[in-house]
Amino acid sequence: MSSAEGPDTRTALRFEGVDVFFDAEFSEVHAVKGFSLEVKRGEVVALVGESGSGKSAIATAAMGLLPANARVAGRIQVGGTDVLGLDEARLRRMRASNIAMVFQEPMTALNPVLTVGDQLTEALELHGIAHGKAADRRAAELLGMVGIPDPHQRLRQYPHQFSGGQRQRIVIAMAISCGPRVIIADEPTTALDVTVQAEILDLLRELKDKLDTGILLITHNMGVVADLADRVAVMFQGRVVEAGTVRDVLTRPEHAYTRTLLAAVPHLGRSGPQAAALPAGGGVAGRDAAGGDAAAGETVRQPVLRARGLAVEYTARGRAFRAVEDISFEVAAGEILGLVGESGSGKSTIAKVVLGLLPVASGELMVHGQNLAALKGRSARAARARIGAVFQDPAASLNPRFPIGECIVEPMVVHGKGNRRSRAERAYDLLDAVRLPRSVVNRYPHELSGGQRQRVSIARALALDPELLVADEPTSALDVSVQAAVLEMFAELQSRYEFACLFVSHDLAVVDMLAHSVLVMRNGRTVEQGPAARVLHEPRQDYTRRLLAAAPVPEPGEQRRRREARRALLAEQPAP
Amino acid sequence: MLRFILRRLGASAAILLGASLLLYVLMVNAGDPLKDLRESNASNRDELIRQRIGFMGLDQPWYQRYWTWLAGVAKCVTLNCDLGTNRSGVEVSSLLANAAGSTLRLVVLATVLAAVLGIAVGVLTAVRQYSGLDYSVTFLTFLFFSLPVFWAAVLLKEYLAIGYNDWIANPAFTPAQTAVSALLFGFVMQVVLAGSRTRRLATFAASAAFVALVLPYLQWLNFFRYPQLGFGGVVVLSLAVALSATATSAGLRNKLVLYPVLATVLAGAIAYWATFGLMENPTWGTLALLLAAAVAVPVVLGRVLGGHLRGRATGAGLATALAMAGLTTLDHIFRAWPGFLSLKPRPISTIGSQTPNFGGTFWESFLDRGAQLLLPTLLLALISLASYSRYTRASMLEVGRQDYIRTARAKGLGERTVILKHALRNALIPIATIMAFDFAGLIGGAVVTEAVFGWKGMGELFRTGLDQVDPAPVMAFFLVTGTAAVLFNMLADILYAILDPRIRV
Amino acid sequence: MPAGGEAAAAASLAEAEDAALRLRGDTATSQGRLVARRFLAHKAAMASVAVFAAIAVLAFTSIGFAGIPGWWDKSYTLAATVVDGGRPTLSLVPGWLGGEGLRWGEHPFGQDSTGKDYFALVMRGTQQSITIALVVGTVATVIGSVVGAVAGYFRGWVDSVLMRITDLVIVIPLLVLAAVLGKIAGGSGNVLVLALVLGLVTWTGLARLVRGEVLSLREREFVSAAEAMGARASRIIFRHLLPNTVGVIAVNATFAVAGAILLETSLSYLGFGVRAPDSSLGLLISQYQSAFTTRPWLFWWPGMTILAVALSVNFIGDGLRDAFDPRQSRAARRKGRTRP
Repeated sequence: MSSAEGPDTRTALRFEGVDVFFDAEFSEVHAVKGFSLEVKRGEVVALVGESGSGKSAIATAAMGLLPANARVAGRIQVGGTDVLGLDEARLRRMRASNIAMVFQEPMTALNPVLTVGDQLTEALELHGIAHGKAADRRAAELLGMVGIPDPHQRLRQYPHQFSGGQRQRIVIAMAISCGPRVIIADEPTTALDVTVQAEILDLLRELKDKLDTGILLITHNMGVVADLADRVAVMFQGRVVEAGTVRDVLTRPEHAYTRTLLAAVPHLGRSGPQAAALPAGGGVAGRDAAGGDAAAGETVRQPVLRARGLAVEYTARGRAFRAVEDISFEVAAGEILGLVGESGSGKSTIAKVVLGLLPVASGELMVHGQNLAALKGRSARAARARIGAVFQDPAASLNPRFPIGECIVEPMVVHGKGNRRSRAERAYDLLDAVRLPRSVVNRYPHELSGGQRQRVSIARALALDPELLVADEPTSALDVSVQAAVLEMFAELQSRYEFACLFVSHDLAVVDMLAHSVLVMRNGRTVEQGPAARVLHEPRQDYTRRLLAAAPVPEPGEQRRRREARRALLAEQPAP
Repeated sequence: MLRFILRRLGASAAILLGASLLLYVLMVNAGDPLKDLRESNASNRDELIRQRIGFMGLDQPWYQRYWTWLAGVAKCVTLNCDLGTNRSGVEVSSLLANAAGSTLRLVVLATVLAAVLGIAVGVLTAVRQYSGLDYSVTFLTFLFFSLPVFWAAVLLKEYLAIGYNDWIANPAFTPAQTAVSALLFGFVMQVVLAGSRTRRLATFAASAAFVALVLPYLQWLNFFRYPQLGFGGVVVLSLAVALSATATSAGLRNKLVLYPVLATVLAGAIAYWATFGLMENPTWGTLALLLAAAVAVPVVLGRVLGGHLRGRATGAGLATALAMAGLTTLDHIFRAWPGFLSLKPRPISTIGSQTPNFGGTFWESFLDRGAQLLLPTLLLALISLASYSRYTRASMLEVGRQDYIRTARAKGLGERTVILKHALRNALIPIATIMAFDFAGLIGGAVVTEAVFGWKGMGELFRTGLDQVDPAPVMAFFLVTGTAAVLFNMLADILYAILDPRIRV
Repeated sequence: MPAGGEAAAAASLAEAEDAALRLRGDTATSQGRLVARRFLAHKAAMASVAVFAAIAVLAFTSIGFAGIPGWWDKSYTLAATVVDGGRPTLSLVPGWLGGEGLRWGEHPFGQDSTGKDYFALVMRGTQQSITIALVVGTVATVIGSVVGAVAGYFRGWVDSVLMRITDLVIVIPLLVLAAVLGKIAGGSGNVLVLALVLGLVTWTGLARLVRGEVLSLREREFVSAAEAMGARASRIIFRHLLPNTVGVIAVNATFAVAGAILLETSLSYLGFGVRAPDSSLGLLISQYQSAFTTRPWLFWWPGMTILAVALSVNFIGDGLRDAFDPRQSRAARRKGRTRP
């Protein structure tokens, strides 16, 4: 800290006019432009932005861990010491003891071949905090502190023996082990389920108060910001466009970008117009209907997709286990059924079964009266023409060797529909429909952004005018504003083409916005199903309530109330 | 784990069976085994043909012959192998016993050497990616990849063996040779150690000066004919190892590591004199016992004196003890060298796996076999070394991009710990499998190497067998190489499980 | 991001991206074009292409091929009187440097013991080696990639059966299997038969690599998308999977070619490959290794030719690897480094 400004012993981390440049293969990228920010001890400052905003470059720059092709200018101070220009040895001593980091991917952040204990004690011994037995004791203490039961035994285990949430707790234990002034948490909850996310956020809040540590929270999730942060800085394309207290920025945004960003966040409880226009009967064959017969017979609606007592099995190492058990639902034309649940709930498995990527173990799966499970050969392939698919990962869902035009009309080629001319026409029409310029037909997937590729995927799914569209987490890999644009387009296309849709998502707010009816899953079984408005706003099951309570909303006041409510709920209904 | 190994073993046995059938069928169709006799005009031609038909069982259909062979192999379970006879009626099992020893010695030694050096070079080049060292090693590996073994062997024989043999008769360096060696050594050292320009210059100057002084001194000592290390040399070098091991593991001021390591050196010094008589003409058994003692002493000392740092103390002590044991052995080998030279004035010969009727003590015949083994091992090792270093480099670079390496750096760990503890163990996992698969290829390479160096090994067995369309020796060759390949695969699986806890637990 | 992205900065990321897409020029860059650009920038690989092409052109035009006569007037089968102990007449050292001037001469590479022109023999050997290597490389690549892709795509029992067959071939040392097959095929005197047969045993490595690649590729969603739209297995394998493993295939095809050159020369050296009176580089070395001290050129020419061909092919493979996998590319890094 320079003496002119007066030393502030509470300042843990300080950026002054920081610029970061990266040398890419064919050009140079100015990733961060004139970045300034201060984090005090015991304070959480959030850095919010979408892809390419440069927020992760900030984090790695502060740790002195930028790759060799990067260049930093400006001033970064950790507890009064300048980080830039510090020699390697001093920089190393500063890491963990003054500034520590929590990474996004808990599954890969820990070394798979070393025990958790080894990885924890390593830093303790290196920074001379504890040695030998004492280090083991301290490590167990740390594990206990981050809420891992039975810490002494678990020290001897390897990372793969822990769940994703537990691994993130271990990474946090590692970060606090040497008592740093500040922790940089780079998207610490992005890879986690909502309920786990809520727990990790609680843990971070508790630890920073207990240890008087500052936290620089890097995230794209406004709900997380509202939940944890005191102050927030919004970044767009390398610049901070707005900064202030969380209350000010989230409730009275000044910059246009912040406003778009906030408007783009799907907000649970402000459901879209579709929920109101819900057809009576809910479009769902309830659990009773699956068992009985009266209700199903009387409806005039012809369901496009109907599942009854559906079960799916995976075989792993010669043993079969049921990923999905006894699921029943119906989707009619023009309807969207939202399948929600956390990872491992079996929701994507159902999407795969409907798409013919997995076999049905038992039960019925009817598409327009044809049992998909019983179809073979030519007729099975013909049935595929009536179902379109959109997948999650925009980086992987298009063949990198196909030009966009070819990607879009591939279903037509596969089913021998149309000739060269009519296919080209169709490609242009579809590109218009997903609002991409026609010149894109000759481009390759790697030249498009994630959101644009997802729009191409939707165009491809619609190429044969399908009666049913299966969308497996189509927007969860996208940035918020991009997600909003894609969802809006999706809803519009759905009302124009009136296809039935099975929409798989972990994001309750997105489902709330889009779906007519909802099926909540857990461990391969139905927890609750019914009209979206009913299930998401008057949930009857505890699990649904917990799930809803865990999803943060981007309004600090409301989020605090929700947090208290969740605490109360958990106190009264402890999670199993 | 056990079930996993047993299942793999079963699958491997089935594969071996299938492969043996394939090879047998191919061998039977590889030509006419009686061709030379049919064309001969010896008076007893018909008698000879009848005899060979009897030895080879040519009067039976091929599947019956295969079955007989298989039944004979099955007897190996009772340690009573019957591998049939070759076309002249000699028991193949007796031929194999002689051949397998020398070939496996060659291949195993070459593999171990190539693996250790290859991994080391690979790690170094990955750490120094895009440096002068990396480029030179890359070029050299490509050169070794592209080198025809048999051609390189002739060059080695000519320049290394014959050149050395001529030189050792009267070892001397001309001033020009000394100067060139010094400059070359200095250049290589600065490439390997790298650093800033001044550091490179200093390294170059120091290494070049060292060589320029040491070579004439050694020549003056007549070191090359009468090499010596002596008790003093052993102790001084061991102390150097001890101190650097202490420095790298805990720092020289750390008494908890320093004392047990120094105690190890003291124990080694006592052992030097205690075992002196024993070591003058030992057997492999006594050597193994002494090695066990060399491992046990530092472990005990480290555990007792190391306190809470006993892990590091044991490690540093072990390194010291092994270095000291090695130096003591080297000292005895040095002592045996003049005697060996008088028995065999041209030490490196280029034919055969050992000098026939070579008398001499344990160390002298050890040196003889070593000298015979030198060139083929070098050749075989160089080629595998090239590929191992490439694999290791690629694997290290891949691991270097993983998140957990970033986590390790974020903890403030030094580069050495990050690389050796966090990166290398992960990088070795894929390499273990690759090496196992390479082993079969290496045995193939041994066929050529043996041909060039005139070894009477398995390669010879195979070549003559194939040339004479005689299945029994070829199948015996396959039995050994196939089994070795399967064993190595299993070793790789076990190694895999040791390295990767995700498989183990 | 181009300037247009900045202009739209106030709006949102989605709009900025779309604006950038509209602003872009009309030239689309396919993966293939990117790879070609990187390969052309790889100096060692380009030099190797030149060396390899030069050797191949020299070998095939000098003594002619497949009945077409070449520009070199001597035959590799015709014995003649030995001139000057069979010493080479080629000289590359100019007169002003104390050499004999640039001269091609009567027998540039010298003569063997029966007076055959050694240049013609070496050229013939080079032809054989290159022909065999290219055929082996092609056959092995085709079999290896199809087996690997089929095994990786179908998994289950198809994979088990194919991989056990692969293991069966791997467990017999390659040189041994090749020698036995070479003994069978070499008798016919037709190198193409020998080459085809060698191709039948050298595909295993590539099959394993392609299988591994396909196993991870088939988890990618564009494959699931193709399956979900009802595409046949053949379309998925040949249109989606194999084109995306082209990097692995191309790189290993070049390494397979280099390996085949060495395999053929080794076999010929052992006497199980190309046999006299035809010529092969391995055969020449085998015949004249004992002449090393007396007539070293008989040893050096074929050896250096093998080395040059194998080395250039290996470097071409390295260049392809860098081009297909820019993460490890030196060209990309160097470019990054030279910037301030």
